[in-house]
Parts: sequence; C-alpha cells; structure tokens
Amino acid sequence: MAKPIINIIDLSVGYSNPLVSEINLTIQPGEIVAIVGVSGLGKTTLLRTIAGLIPKLSGRIVGDIRTRGGIGYIPQRLGLVRHASVYHNVELGARCGVKKSTTDGNLFNWSKRKSTVIHKTVELVGLSDKINEPIRRLSGGQQRRVATARAIAQQPELILADEFLSELDKENADSIIKLMRKFVADNQCGMLLVEHHLERAKQIADRIIDLSEFEVYSVEESE
Amino acid sequence: MSVKVNKVWLISLTLLFLSLIILNNLVRGDWGDITGGFANLLKFWNTELWPPEWSLIFDAQSEPPNCNVEIGFFCSKAYTGMLETLKMAFVATIFGFIGAITLSSFAAKNLVPNYVLVPTRLFMSMTRSLPSIIWAIIFVIVVGIGPLAGVLAMVIYTIGYLGKLQYEEIEGINREPLEAARAMGLNHSEIVSKVVLPESGNTFLSQLLFMFEYNVRHGTVLGLVGAGGIGLHIDRAMELNLYNHVMTYLIVIFIVIVVIDFLSLFIRSFVTDESEVGSPSFLTVLLPASLSQRLFSQKQSED
Repeated sequence: MAKPIINIIDLSVGYSNPLVSEINLTIQPGEIVAIVGVSGLGKTTLLRTIAGLIPKLSGRIVGDIRTRGGIGYIPQRLGLVRHASVYHNVELGARCGVKKSTTDGNLFNWSKRKSTVIHKTVELVGLSDKINEPIRRLSGGQQRRVATARAIAQQPELILADEFLSELDKENADSIIKLMRKFVADNQCGMLLVEHHLERAKQIADRIIDLSEFEVYSVEESE
Repeated sequence: MSVKVNKVWLISLTLLFLSLIILNNLVRGDWGDITGGFANLLKFWNTELWPPEWSLIFDAQSEPPNCNVEIGFFCSKAYTGMLETLKMAFVATIFGFIGAITLSSFAAKNLVPNYVLVPTRLFMSMTRSLPSIIWAIIFVIVVGIGPLAGVLAMVIYTIGYLGKLQYEEIEGINREPLEAARAMGLNHSEIVSKVVLPESGNTFLSQLLFMFEYNVRHGTVLGLVGAGGIGLHIDRAMELNLYNHVMTYLIVIFIVIVVIDFLSLFIRSFVTDESEVGSPSFLTVLLPASLSQRLFSQKQSED
C-alpha cells in the first residue's frame, strides 16, 4: 500500500474548548475525502488546523505536507486577491508548484516555465479570454474556476477546500468536480473538502465523514 | 424625540460654554484690544501685505546664480524655491513610502507575531511623536542648512505617519487571501508583494498622494528652520520685514497646493474600487465615483 498523504491521529481542534475531538483520518494518494455535517460543528476549524493556520489542541498530523507548496487551500470565500488579475492569482499557486530547483535556479527559465504552467492551467479551466481580468469583475462561478486553477498550478500534495462548490449551478459544479477528480487521480495527491450538500459531496468524494454522526463511510457503501 | 433633541442641544451648549471658560482661563482674562484688532489687520494688509511683489515670480533673481534661461519666471525666487520644495517633497515621499511599506508589513497583526509587531510599532511611534519641523531642526544640526535636512526630516516623519496608516489598512484586508497564501507556504515578502500590495494598492496610492500634498505643505514650513525650499525665502523676507514678499510666496504656495490637490483627485479617480469608469474625466474627479458612473452609463445607453 502506498504511503498515505496525511495521517491524522487523535486530533482535537478548536479555540479554547475543543470543537472536534479525537478525530482519526488517513488520506491515500488519489483519494478525495469529504466532511459533511451541520453548521457550527468545527468543519472549517478542522481544515484550518490541518492547513497550519491555527494550532491544534492535541493529537498528531503526520505527512510530508508542510513543505512549500505542500498544501493547496481554498477557503470558503476562495481567498482570491480581488484587485489582481486571473493570471496574478494563478501565479501564486504556480510560484510554489514550479520549483526553482527544476530550472537550476535560473530565474529567467523559472519565470518562463511558470508562465507556461499558468497559461495551460487557465486554459484548462476555460478562462483564457479572462486571463487579464481582475477577479472582482468575474462571476461567482468564474472565481471558483480561478481558485481551482490556482490549486492545480500549485500541484500540492494535499488540497483543502472549504465549501468551494457552494453557490454554483449544476453545470458549473459538475465541470469543476470533473476537473478536480481528474487532477487528484492524475497527480496522486489527496483532497479533503468540507461540503454542506451531501449529494454534491457524494458526487466528488471517495469517502465521506459525517461529523454530526461521527461516522466514516465510503461513497460506494452508502449507495 | 424632542427630549433627545433637547439633550443634544444641552450638551452642545455646555461644551461651548466650557470652551469659552477654558479660553478665558488661557488668556487670563486679558482679551487685548479686540475692538481695534480688525482695523489693525486692515492697516497691515494695506500697508505691508498688498500689493504683493510680483517681480519675485516673473523676474529673474540672483538665485540660482547660474540660471541662464531666457524667460525670467524660470529663474525667479518663487519658482526656484517652490521647485526645490516640490523636489524635496517628492523625494521624501518616495523614500518615506518605501520605508513605511517595509516597516508596516512588520507592524500589522495579521502578518507578524507580537514580538515583531511591538518593537516595530514603538519605532514608528517614535518617528511620529516629533513633528517634522523638530526633525528638521535636528537634521539641520546634523547635515547643515539646506534641502537635505528637509528631505531627511520629511522621510522620517513620512515613515511614521504613513506607516501607521498603512498597517491599519493592512489589518483591515480580508483574512482569506492571506490564509490561502500562508497555507501554500509563501514567505513574508511574497505575501506582502503578491497579496497585501494588490489588495490595498488603491488605498496605498491614495495615501501616497495625500502624503505628497502633506509634505509639500510642510516643506514650505521647514524652510523656516533652514531646511531649504521656498520656506527659506519666506524666512529671509520675514527677517527683513518684507511682508509683501511673504504674501507673494504664500500666493504661490496656495496655487501649487490647489493644483496638486486637483491632480491628486484626478489620479485617485482611476483607482476607486466601485468605479468601472474606463477613462477619467474632470467630471469623475469632481463627482463621487458612483454618481459619475451612473451619469456615464446613462450617457452610454443614450448613445
């Protein structure tokens, strides 16, 4: 069996009091896991703790994800730089994804390779014609595509996404789900996402953790 | 409702009355010859201030010594002095801005931990606690009389003043882009240049222009302590009791400040967040962006 991307052992998260206690979870390469449950259970806090943005209360997080570019994080409101262009936002991911070591530290070649990656990724999400548009002029669906492109250009070990499919119509959601599933499978990375809608979670994830029931099941089992 | 209004009036009148009592206390009850004050001012205006000495603006003077331009205006004291003040303000604003942006990124609580933030803020408070004129006196002692002292004084003050405005702006930016960048593993300088600057760029530009205006205004005062610029000419004119010369310089300063203010408004109209107005016109300068946008879109739909 391949080495897991991340192994979470007895993890408790929260601020002064634990919101989620002693959770155990392993994500394998190429696997997508969704966390579902009603609001206020600490789903976002769990994701932010794994991302290293807030300290954990107890437990362990094991995995080679703490390196530069190891984690791709898509927050609830996407975390895009609103006043900057699509190119600029995807570049944030690409500057982590395209390692300087691959161009022997040559900044010109690094910059060129980065630019190629950005253009390819933007084309992949269907926003080539909007590449120089500022984010604030894009629709909600287009902004979600940019966040997806940023994560793809970053080529992280683990993608953490917080309800990034919400407010999307079926057509847009389906295309992003398809894109993400292909990327995770091709690159053998992992993905942990928080999703409010169970049906949508089933559509994208291989496994689902219901935090309200504290139950873990595979999507195939549930069907 | 009427009770509320009465309360507001009562508080306002109390504050006004209190201010008058404090003012009376400050002047120790000696109000001088108020009745003759206005007449004195009128006399001073007619005999000393007016008419201004227009030759200071239009005629070539001895300064700068090797000014060989045909048109006298470009060799006049008012022009050369004002130009020096503008140059001082420009240089000081640019260097001050670079210093301020560097320090403010180490003073914003959403970017750095407390052990970095506290000493940085203390340093910035220190630079801000002395007015620029006091810094000018210090630098005149250090580097001697001339524009360099004025520039250094303005740079130091700009760092403290602009830095405070900037870190408050940085602290107000949305948490999520910063978190996404941090989770990705971007370093401090990347976060500042790639997330903070684009997110706060409009406000930073506004603050930069405001600071330039401020430095031009203060640059005129700094000359009074020997720190160069048009203020130096004002100081000399005052020493010789040539108040009509002072009046001339003040008119020049007033015109330049008004022009800078308009230019600043014009440039800022490019970067308002809500405006999607393609190219600015003087209408967009004088009207709020939302209103000019409405007018423009109406015009476009008519077309």
